[in-house]
Amino acid sequence: MPAKAFLNDALAVMTNEFRLLRRNRTAILISLVILPLFFTVSLGGASGRSGESFSPIAHLTIAYVDNDVTIASGRLLSTLSSSGDFNNLVQGYSEDSAMATLGTGRIYAAIIVPKGFEENLAKNEQANLVVYVDDSLNGLGNQIAYSIQSSLQKFSPRAEIRPVTGGAQQIEIIQKGAKFSSFNIGLTIILALVIIFATFYEIAGGMSRESEDGTYARLLMTPTSLGAVVFGKTMYDLVLNAIRTLMVLGLAIFAYGARPSTDFGTILLISLLMALLTMGFGFLISAIGIGIRAVIIIEFFLVLFLFAFSGFVIDRELLRGVSNTISYMLPWAYGIELLKRTILIGQPLLTLTGQLEFVLASIVVFYGLAYFLLRLSRERLVR
Amino acid sequence: MNRFARDTSAVTAKELRQLLRDPLSLALTIIFPILLIQIFVVIVTAFSAPSYNIAVVVSDLDGSSKSRSLVDKLTSSRLIKVTQLLQTEEQAYHAVESGAATGAVIIPKGFGIALLNNRSAFVILETDNSKITSSSLVQSAVSSSTQALLESTGVSLGASSVQVIQRPISGRPETGDMIVPGMLGMITILGAFDDIVNAITRERERGTFSRLVLTPTSILSIYSGKISATVVLNAIRTTLMLVIFVFTGLTIRGSVPLVYLTTTLIAVFTMSLGLLLSTKVTSSSTLTVLEIAITFPLFQLAGAIQAPELLASGGRAMAQILPWTYGNDALRRVIYLGVGFDAIAIDLLVLTVSSLVLLPIATLLSKRTI
Repeated sequence: MPAKAFLNDALAVMTNEFRLLRRNRTAILISLVILPLFFTVSLGGASGRSGESFSPIAHLTIAYVDNDVTIASGRLLSTLSSSGDFNNLVQGYSEDSAMATLGTGRIYAAIIVPKGFEENLAKNEQANLVVYVDDSLNGLGNQIAYSIQSSLQKFSPRAEIRPVTGGAQQIEIIQKGAKFSSFNIGLTIILALVIIFATFYEIAGGMSRESEDGTYARLLMTPTSLGAVVFGKTMYDLVLNAIRTLMVLGLAIFAYGARPSTDFGTILLISLLMALLTMGFGFLISAIGIGIRAVIIIEFFLVLFLFAFSGFVIDRELLRGVSNTISYMLPWAYGIELLKRTILIGQPLLTLTGQLEFVLASIVVFYGLAYFLLRLSRERLVR
Repeated sequence: MNRFARDTSAVTAKELRQLLRDPLSLALTIIFPILLIQIFVVIVTAFSAPSYNIAVVVSDLDGSSKSRSLVDKLTSSRLIKVTQLLQTEEQAYHAVESGAATGAVIIPKGFGIALLNNRSAFVILETDNSKITSSSLVQSAVSSSTQALLESTGVSLGASSVQVIQRPISGRPETGDMIVPGMLGMITILGAFDDIVNAITRERERGTFSRLVLTPTSILSIYSGKISATVVLNAIRTTLMLVIFVFTGLTIRGSVPLVYLTTTLIAVFTMSLGLLLSTKVTSSSTLTVLEIAITFPLFQLAGAIQAPELLASGGRAMAQILPWTYGNDALRRVIYLGVGFDAIAIDLLVLTVSSLVLLPIATLLSKRTI
């Protein structure tokens, strides 16, 4: 019977939460529409549709200054033009005029083929290509250099010589490993970010707002148990997170053609685990008794922290010293790894036992601590 | 006009006084740019470290002197750390699949003989591509090691190798800077958004906004005053950021007043948008969350870190309609290239016109709300 009463109370708390949400159109809009849509659309806009390859520099106007005017430099031009990375190569600039035009936005880079280019190649010596870049565009220089290097793999200065393969001619590296689009990579980040961002605000922010309004104290004075309150709120937010996951995945799959390497159930399960983890942390933070403003500040810092240390942007292996230690202690990092390894490389969830155990243990610890602190504050309130 | 100016300055002074009385807000104004920059430095440092210890396992099925030499070269690579030498191919694949290693290099039987006979040899590299940067670093390490092996065995690496020499027109080092000018733009946006929360929604929640509106001060003066206060705060934040920029080695090639002018216009535009949003979103916490939610995608779309020109076509279109993109573009060009007012006039015009369009709408909607 106590179990039935507990469930009834939890259900009542959950229903109350939904009623409050229904009355707040702005909250519905932000939590369920703006956050998932805006993040996913931004990702699609930035990285293009999944499976669609695009060259970030193909549309940029780049000057090709040929100071050598030989067969080799002509063949280089045609190699670059046909690579798909240099669709707007323009000729007619001298080195000086190209330099003067750079930075105005009319051309973004100038590829200079110096005199003696063909001669060096003919003498089996290294030939140089000089690339001037408008580096006020961050990332452009490296992208152009990378694209030229890739094109050079197919470049042969004379028709009868087969293409040079950029170095290790006699050892081929056969690469294995899952291949996926940059949209799919972004999808794992967006999904995690949307869940963490929205969940933390809903739980910690909701509890703090209720504390500030005085409704939380009133709720504690009712016969409803603390466990039922926490459970009810958890169920409510799990439903919201399931909707959010559906929104993000639906948009990613149907609008941007994403093809996750795992099934929907697995992604939903990991999303809900991430949500539970964040909820546990949210309850813990709200148990400290801080105001809504502080909650938002913590939320902002939490997201920044996760950006730096949890594998969102940087693989954890690349972090050194304290950063590395922090990253291995952050439970969200394991959740993000679960998302990456399932969505990107299709690894079965149950084989990722280490990550699952860490996430589950963290959920238990967060909830346990939060319950303990909330209980203390309730006792203080009763006294 | 005199009265307008007087009211505006009175509201500005009130805003600044209020901020001084609120230590948390004051601390945030100063701490959050520093924290944001620190996080960014952590990210950049991770990407540009001279060496890494990315776990790689090797299975040398050949056991020849050549294969052992390749293993030696892999072991001495600065990018990877050979954690295990495994007996079988399956064990190597398993190490990657289980997450114990980021890459597995398999040197097949016959590798050494093929090289000795001047035939093509191959190695198999399996990488955990869910670790985006690490897997590409492993590929790079293996590629360099095989190249080094060939060099050491006297194999010609291709007569017609072409070296690409990259020369940024700003004269900056190719490795780039720890801090990029777009960060200043984003901090300006975040700061101005926070100011609007302080200036309007919190005042609405306290009930002081309606009282302020009921005074003879016009709504335009109130808004101008609040914007002026943001301009002052923005100048402080910009100064702080420029100091950090200089300490981290970024050279500001252009005119510093132009940097201030650009950040001011970014702040004013953000404030105008915030004023507009605050007419619909009345809760300060909801507005803050909405602002943070908007800001994160802006890092990518508005060119805070990477130039929007390098985005996919959809992203470029989105970037072009965001006035912040023009602000970040102006900041990059002034700081990196040292261009003058003429070169960024259009960027500044877009920001100004956008603010001038939004501000009257916000005023009108605000009047209706009241």
